[in-house]
Amino acid sequence: MAALCSEFGDLVQIKKQLISVISLCKERGLVHSVKWASELAFSLDPLPKNELPPPTFFTEEDAQDLDALGLAKSYFDLKEYDRAAYFLRGCCSQKAYFLYMYSRYLSGEKKKDDETVDSLGPLEKGQVRNEALRELRVELSKKHSAGELDGFALYLYGVVLRKLDLLKEAVDVFVEATHALPLHWGAWLELCNLVTNIEMLKSLSLPDCWIRDFFMAHMYTELQMIKEALQKYQSLIEAGFSKSTYIMSQIAVAYHNIRDIDQALALFNELREQDPFRVENMDTFSNLLYVRSMKPELSYLAHNLVEIDKYRVETCCVIGNYYSLRSQHEKAALYFQRALKLNPRCLGAWTLMGHEYMEMKNTSAAIQAYRHAIEVNKRDYRAWYGLGQTYEILKMPFYCLYYYRKAHQLRPNDSRMLVALGESYEKLSQHVEAKKCYWRAYSVGDVERMALLKLAKLHEQLNESDDAAQCYIIYIQDIFSCGEQLEHAEVSTALRYLGQYYFKNKLYDEASLCAQRCCDYNDAREEGKALLRQISQVRDQTESSTTDLFGPLSSNNTPIRRVSPLDLSSFTP
Amino acid sequence: MASVHESLYFNPMMTNGVVHANVFGIKDWVTPYKISVLALLYEMTTSKPIALQERRRLNKLILPLQQGPDLTLDQFLKTVEECCPQTAYAVKLRLHEMADGELKDMEYFFATLPTPFSAIDSEAYKTSVVGLFMRHMLLAYNKLSFSQVYKLYKALQQYYHSHYSQPGDVQVGLPALAADDSDMDLTSTEDNVGERMEKEELDTRPEVVDRGPLSQKQAEYFLARQAYLLKNDENKALKPSALQDELNNMLKFNPDFAEAHYLSYLNSMRVQDIFISTHSLLHYFDRLILSGSEGKSNGDEGYGRSLRYAALNLAALHCRFGHYQQADLALQEAIRIAQESNDHVCLQHCLSWLYTLEQMKGSDSSVLTEDSVKMAAHFCLPYLVSLGIQSLVQQGAVQGKTAHELMDALKDTDILHWKHSLSELIDISLAQTTSIWRMYGKSTMAQQQAQLLLNMNSLEQVNFGVQQNNTEAFAVALCHLAELHAEQGLYGAVSEVLKHLKEQFPPHTQHAKLWMLCDLKIQFDRAMNDGKYHLAEPHVTAIAALNKTEGLYRKAQVLKALNRTTEAYSILQRLQLYCEKTKYTEMIIRVMLVTAELHWESSGFATALPLLLQALALARQHHLQALASETILHLAFTQLMLGVPEQALGVLHEAMEPILAHGAVMDKGRALLLAARCQMAMAGTRSNGQKHAALGLAVQSLGEAAAYFSMLDCKERLRDVHYLQARLHHTLGQTPQRNKCAMLFRLLDQELQAPGAPLL
Repeated sequence: MAALCSEFGDLVQIKKQLISVISLCKERGLVHSVKWASELAFSLDPLPKNELPPPTFFTEEDAQDLDALGLAKSYFDLKEYDRAAYFLRGCCSQKAYFLYMYSRYLSGEKKKDDETVDSLGPLEKGQVRNEALRELRVELSKKHSAGELDGFALYLYGVVLRKLDLLKEAVDVFVEATHALPLHWGAWLELCNLVTNIEMLKSLSLPDCWIRDFFMAHMYTELQMIKEALQKYQSLIEAGFSKSTYIMSQIAVAYHNIRDIDQALALFNELREQDPFRVENMDTFSNLLYVRSMKPELSYLAHNLVEIDKYRVETCCVIGNYYSLRSQHEKAALYFQRALKLNPRCLGAWTLMGHEYMEMKNTSAAIQAYRHAIEVNKRDYRAWYGLGQTYEILKMPFYCLYYYRKAHQLRPNDSRMLVALGESYEKLSQHVEAKKCYWRAYSVGDVERMALLKLAKLHEQLNESDDAAQCYIIYIQDIFSCGEQLEHAEVSTALRYLGQYYFKNKLYDEASLCAQRCCDYNDAREEGKALLRQISQVRDQTESSTTDLFGPLSSNNTPIRRVSPLDLSSFTP
Repeated sequence: MASVHESLYFNPMMTNGVVHANVFGIKDWVTPYKISVLALLYEMTTSKPIALQERRRLNKLILPLQQGPDLTLDQFLKTVEECCPQTAYAVKLRLHEMADGELKDMEYFFATLPTPFSAIDSEAYKTSVVGLFMRHMLLAYNKLSFSQVYKLYKALQQYYHSHYSQPGDVQVGLPALAADDSDMDLTSTEDNVGERMEKEELDTRPEVVDRGPLSQKQAEYFLARQAYLLKNDENKALKPSALQDELNNMLKFNPDFAEAHYLSYLNSMRVQDIFISTHSLLHYFDRLILSGSEGKSNGDEGYGRSLRYAALNLAALHCRFGHYQQADLALQEAIRIAQESNDHVCLQHCLSWLYTLEQMKGSDSSVLTEDSVKMAAHFCLPYLVSLGIQSLVQQGAVQGKTAHELMDALKDTDILHWKHSLSELIDISLAQTTSIWRMYGKSTMAQQQAQLLLNMNSLEQVNFGVQQNNTEAFAVALCHLAELHAEQGLYGAVSEVLKHLKEQFPPHTQHAKLWMLCDLKIQFDRAMNDGKYHLAEPHVTAIAALNKTEGLYRKAQVLKALNRTTEAYSILQRLQLYCEKTKYTEMIIRVMLVTAELHWESSGFATALPLLLQALALARQHHLQALASETILHLAFTQLMLGVPEQALGVLHEAMEPILAHGAVMDKGRALLLAARCQMAMAGTRSNGQKHAALGLAVQSLGEAAAYFSMLDCKERLRDVHYLQARLHHTLGQTPQRNKCAMLFRLLDQELQAPGAPLL
């Protein structure tokens, strides 16, 4: 009880902190951080009237700058950044200083975007820069070394450094910013983009604050450490953030990343109930619907999103998926292109467009799209995998090995890459490597349940009948134990082989069992019957000579490596 | 993620989901630097007569200025000033007019440029280099929008003023686009000064320094030049890290410039970085597939072609890194796709790589090579044909084909080379001839061929001031030259040659191993000749690191010299087996000779005899004259020891002529010493009068031998010679000479101290 109370007290504190940071960010025009904090604050219980934080008091400086600040803020909100900066130039309060610098920064960014369209030449395209960055850096670094920057200004300094590709310095400054003002989510988010591996994450000294847990969870998701991320989010939910749509969406994305489709779908559905006009993350949702081929749901989602806002990257991706599912690949590609026009750094769209071109058999365009995806983010395993597939279609198994290997490096425990690698090795007659890949694919949890079958067939080809039989046995066990019906399941092949195998090894009981099971499948019925006839013939012969010998024979002849014979009668195909 | 700062820009270059770098066909655009060049050209074409000398210098300047990367105004004016100060001043004045005036001044300048279409007589005619450049610039200028023109003008002003604001400051970065609007700062002016100082200080940090953008043309020129230098003269190319920086810079500005990836592949091959080179190669071909794909699906010109070559290049890459299995797989893939699409040219390339791969693996590939040559001739691919023939010649030389066959083949390829101007192959052919002559033991011929190669003018039309290409062929020829000089005892010349090699092929480059081995061999031989075995020993390890077989052979030699007979013998046995397997005839013969010497040590002269005869037969079969002569020397010595000096002398006479004509100084001395000893042995059996005459002959031979040995400073042998001389003079009753020789002997003996004279 006491624990609960303190938990609740904590939540009240958190809520107060959130409310105060919302107003701080709002004054400074940091809209995304405001949005994040507000979402989180909304998920907490409302405060009683007497608990509400008092209106912020003004310092002397603030009072002095009040009018200029009000004017500048109105210009700022209307995106007249230069004008805003001009009226703020003489102000001395921290707030005004931040807004002054931020306006200058955004003005530079805006000009940069405008100039991209009419640059002096194609090669200059990548050359267009925010020209204000250097000046900002000089001024900010001077203030920084004098220790005059507050949390927001530090954040801005970090952003400027990152834009100038001074990543190491940027990380330090962002860490400092989080220490100065832990509640500003923007700084955490920037930090998140700069941390590339777990060692780097561990080496950072971060402030001890509740928001740190959010950051860590986010970071784990980014670094594909899904299990840890889910744990973190779970504990946050238990701590009282159960109504937060942010956490819900993050968990859903995490489930999507580990391909736990059902859980993810359920969460997304709930999310849409709570926040029906949400556009963020809906592309991920549509991916899930696509994988499950849920046409009506996807169609509904697409129409709904178009009504909300048709010029959003997410909307375009959803529509692309929708058309793709309807096999209208040209249209799908068109929508992915539109998504890219809206945001060229949108990684998912490049990859998805690659997939569409693959469907259209336009391999060269597919290669281009995948390459773009890789250029945007080298760690996009789907693009690497897609490139591998493209070259595999072009019948270049050795060439595609490199790409599959890259994909495998990024997702060491994904069976699809391993199966693809195995197939390529098999085509190159590198049987040892192929076997290793298939076995590993099975060991890490085969998604498509093809690895064992392929392994068995490979063993069969190489006349390693014992190994082949063993693989088939595990395969059959695997198929039946998972319960669901798979379209490509080749149980009949396995049974047919096993029947022949047992027959050859004179294990007639097992052989006849397999043969009977074979008769349940259309394609193997005739063979099953033929085998049964053979068995009965042989049995007749042996029974006529020695009836007793059969029992000991079966146990003696058992190959050493074999698994104990199966009780196939329990299977219900 | 939800960063507010992500720029949303629309990319007009994108069609069909694919970015075209060059959708408008604009390869060039106007920059302040280009305007300065235009001003220069304008001055040159229109203005008053310039002195012929100066005009010539200016004309030579035009192409580099047009093609090179943008310079700062300082650099530009300085280069022009060096040619013609008067024009430089005029150009400066014109720029000043524009920069200090208004926008209309720039517009006026472009309007007054001589139109290449009307000026028929001038240099600016539409098809001339200058005219073409002007047309490009005019076109690019006319295409600019209002804001772009204004931006260009601002850039020009900055370009001009930066020249004055930092006089003498040689800044690499083009400040044209760098922000310098300090008037936006609202702090006081004194603050400004400090700020600017700091800004500069910050800007000089390596991570902030960036170069101006290269136009497509400039980039292409840069890449072509660097690639050419990498192939022909690695020293002159940028350092690997600098080049990589440059390439990364280029790719950052324009990720669609795929050729940069290929150069990056070549560059990382230089530093043996397999990860980056593989990555760059695949990236390049992924990009290339797009550019070839327009309209055609899988035909000769379409992207199917680049797929085939992609696989082939991958094979080549693995081949260079020594991953033979991978290379084999990649090659098979390339062959399969090439066969499927009936691309015979590609198949030929595959075939030539196939036999190269077989050779590298150490198996016999002459049949494959012959096939390749025939097919390549059929498809009219002269390069591949003669490459194949050269490869065949190399194999034939090792396998003991007759000399005239080899030389005929080389002559045929030479005709082919000159016909098609394949200068690279001409070099290789000459180097190969040098090696073959050297192998046959004809040092004069070898020397002549090597000199021919070194003194030949390159056929390359544009060779960027490269006097001599730094290819493998040159390294080989120079190494041969060094060894030939070492044989003649001209160690001063040797060190000169090696110094040159070291400069031309620094230790980290591809062909440096060649001269390293050569250098070590020479040092080793010198140490052995001087009897300083302790100095020779460390060289053995170094040689073994570069060449295993050679290292083992040298090790056996050292062990023999140190009287560790058993170890030496076991090594030699192993070596012989290995060489027989790899058909390395030269080494087999040498091993046999050393083995025979080992037999001598244990006085097994009779056992050495069959071995030597076998070696002689082998040497003659393969036309290895130098080795044959050496074998004969060994044979003669054995016979002398077995007590048949007449026979020995007879055999010796056979070898004397080639040794004196082509042999190394050492061999000459040894041959004469041996002859003298034979003569002495024979004189013992003769009557008195004849004896005197024979001994006189021996004295003469000894004198010559002493001359040769003293050339090499080979003290041990010299001591023996003096001893024999003293004895002979004593027998002949020439006391003063005897005393002189005895004294020389005594001096050397004291110096050497070590007992145990060599037998030969």
